Amino acid sequence: MSDRYEVLILEAATNDVAKASLIVDIARDAIEAAQRAFTEFHSKNGGSPEHAHWDWTKKFQLTVDYELTYKMLGIECGGQVQGLMLIAVGKDCKIPSQKGKNLVYVDYLSAAPWNSKATTATPKYKLVGKVLLQAAVELSEDEGFRGRIGLHSLPQSETWYTNIGMTDLGKDTAYLNLKYFEMTPEQASAFQKG
Amino acid sequence: MAVTKKAMTLNLTDQEMAVLERMCDKKELSKTALIRQALRLYQLVDTRMEKGEKLFFEHEQTKEKSDLVLL
Repeated sequence: MSDRYEVLILEAATNDVAKASLIVDIARDAIEAAQRAFTEFHSKNGGSPEHAHWDWTKKFQLTVDYELTYKMLGIECGGQVQGLMLIAVGKDCKIPSQKGKNLVYVDYLSAAPWNSKATTATPKYKLVGKVLLQAAVELSEDEGFRGRIGLHSLPQSETWYTNIGMTDLGKDTAYLNLKYFEMTPEQASAFQKG
Repeated sequence: MAVTKKAMTLNLTDQEMAVLERMCDKKELSKTALIRQALRLYQLVDTRMEKGEKLFFEHEQTKEKSDLVLL
């Protein structure tokens, strides 16, 4: 069953605030509709962000098979899904000072292609990725993990994760050689305030 | 983002409670958070084993593997 929370994002053209819904445990039909819209946008407008091949309907199955571990969250605004995130609850921290503690692992996160500078020169909404990542931190707090989160970043997003204060633990040879980032409780607190 | 939860009473032996408290200290988790994490892990392992997968540990340095025997 999905839960909805009001969140705020920005109209990219005007910087006007837009009321949106954060949906936790987003339903399969909403994911399927979003995937169709993402695919249609890519085929009409081209652009090739590094995550263009992600199939959210396949990823959704993880939330069915392992319902306590995997959760899919989405941002909805103007009747459309504006971004999606798949998280895994309860993985282990890798930062030495946090060793033995648990975190929320952000498995996949992307804004809809019409909101991404990698796909269009005129994005529709801003802050979609940030609001989703803040939701991951909040879920981590709800689970008692004090806001700790971790993720592997695509090269196109490394600078952003560095800029929001996450710790860069370098390339992970065990996971596609992608850079692994983690957020400590202190970094999470600063991120939520920023 | 508080999700509605249901309360239950959990009866543990002294030994089980001691282990629970020790694990809570180590992981910096409340008893509820630790039990929820344990249930998540149990479901994850159980589902993967039902799919025919095998669970084992590998020593980081020696690469020695050992099966995990579940009850």
